Amino acid sequence: MSTEATIRRQTPPIALITIAIVAVGVVLFALNLMLGSVSIPFSEFTKAVFHGETSTYRAIILDYRLPQAITALLAGIGLSVSGLLMQTLFRNPLADPSLLGISSGASLGVALVVLLGMATGFSNSIFAQGIIIKWLGLRWTLEGFAVVLAAFGGAFLVLLLILALSSRLKNMVSLVLVGIMIAYIAGSVTDILKFFSQKEGLHSFVIWGMGSFSNVSKTQLPFFAITVVVGAIGAFLLFKTLNLLLLGERYAENLGVNIRRSSMLIILVSGFLTAIITAFCGPIAFLGLAVPHIARFLFKSSDHKLLIPATAFLGMDLALFCNLIARLPSFEGNLPINSVTALIGAPIVLWVIFHRQRFSQTQ
Amino acid sequence: MQEVLKTSNLLIGYKGQALMPSIDVSLNEGDIVALAGPNGSGKTTLFKTLSASLKPVGGEVKLFGKDLRDYSPTERSSLFSLVLTEKPDDLFLKVFDIVAAGRYPHLGLLARLKQEDEQIIYDSLETVGISHLVNRNFVSLSDGEQQKVMIAKALVQDTPIIFMDEPAAFLDYPSKIELVNIMHKLSREQHKTILFSSHDLDLLLRHSDRMWVMAPHQPLCQGTPKELVEQGIIDDYFKPIEAKKEFFWMNRE
Repeated sequence: MSTEATIRRQTPPIALITIAIVAVGVVLFALNLMLGSVSIPFSEFTKAVFHGETSTYRAIILDYRLPQAITALLAGIGLSVSGLLMQTLFRNPLADPSLLGISSGASLGVALVVLLGMATGFSNSIFAQGIIIKWLGLRWTLEGFAVVLAAFGGAFLVLLLILALSSRLKNMVSLVLVGIMIAYIAGSVTDILKFFSQKEGLHSFVIWGMGSFSNVSKTQLPFFAITVVVGAIGAFLLFKTLNLLLLGERYAENLGVNIRRSSMLIILVSGFLTAIITAFCGPIAFLGLAVPHIARFLFKSSDHKLLIPATAFLGMDLALFCNLIARLPSFEGNLPINSVTALIGAPIVLWVIFHRQRFSQTQ
Repeated sequence: MQEVLKTSNLLIGYKGQALMPSIDVSLNEGDIVALAGPNGSGKTTLFKTLSASLKPVGGEVKLFGKDLRDYSPTERSSLFSLVLTEKPDDLFLKVFDIVAAGRYPHLGLLARLKQEDEQIIYDSLETVGISHLVNRNFVSLSDGEQQKVMIAKALVQDTPIIFMDEPAAFLDYPSKIELVNIMHKLSREQHKTILFSSHDLDLLLRHSDRMWVMAPHQPLCQGTPKELVEQGIIDDYFKPIEAKKEFFWMNRE
């Protein structure tokens, strides 16, 4: 028999790692405000930010860089949390928001509006007039409004389709395959639209497809922030169900989880986050895939009560880092964010694949 | 002795197709009932039906006098716990986390473990003899150790009924003895009702109060191990498979 001093639970230094992640986030956020194509001297930066002097620098920082940094941070949170939910639901370490075809649905929606609109000459004339409409108390240009609405519509249609199918397909693997097939179909239709479209439309579609954190205007930002935060809180409230799902469906069921209802809730929350972010920022790959893995490795845990906040904070850090890389001072304008996230995210995923097995053996 | 589970005219199977004639059995409080039968006889199907994972093709299952399907999933989680042959495969799942998950039905919205809950978790790890593994990753354990973790999870859930599908699979002989001791302790001291299946005839015959014997397409037979042996039912139900096996090998040659 073991002695009185039974072995108690050990946990990694959660507080320490959390402080480090938040500190890195603060530094990255500051760097996002300081660095850019217009170099702002540090003394001017502090003056502009803390002393409220009206200057060009202040305008650049507050009107351009601040909304962009906040958008990056929110997109990082949303996509990463969404990826974590899908990886757990589908018990597949390579699941992410684009896996279910949600991003592809959004792309198709945007392609329909931008490419078809251009082809029929419908939107061309309106863009020229620069009509501004009011919706949700915000001012949108018609172009921006149409793109956001189309992306959201496309993403949500795919989501509804997946939801309908998920109640018929009990097997999660077949649902993933359905998602991949939907992504292919949406991708093909998008390609066909591209083929028939005019140069101008194609150009703006390709630009949207590259992804950007600078499309959310200052006035749209509160709306964007509230939806992402609500989605993330919704995800956190599901942590018990997610933890139980890790044991397998039958154990989860036995521990009080209504499998069908819970699956739908999880798909709804992660689909909602993906849809809203893709609509504003374009399809952004790899954040949702890579970040949950980093969180698991850092905290050596699969407890979602810890993983969801950890994934959110790490997603924030990584998105801010990618945004910084995308507009290093030496670049004229921004690099496509999608390329940057893939360049940074893909090696992380590769590393994860190669280290998974070894990790589980040694712990 | 209170009747905790009762089936009447229960037909089990898939897609409206019954596997075997209707089943009328019951479990009494504190019983250890062994479910025996060769592969493909429907043991797992019966387990799934009794644990509400699978709809019965016909008839009904009553738990404490109320139809199984009339309970909510949450209510069911406090009535019976499961030990299954399938295992979690997440790389970062800790032994502690799995056993703690068994406690979830007793916890609030934020799943905060109280001192008392933690004590229950450590006690049940101690009971199955794996308290030294508490910090290990589940996937790094041996099959037998994993089995014990899942048994500890069921203990922590603290339900009047425990269903165990092949709990002795992968266990070495001393661990089997431990398992039997645990089952007896649970049944005699805490009046838990245990239904378990096994391929180990010795375990089935010697350590159960009653037995349910199944064979493909045959009616389910029940009785005490002694009765079943004396009536020749154990022989009947296990023999045809052996005979078929011989036949199969003869044909190959």
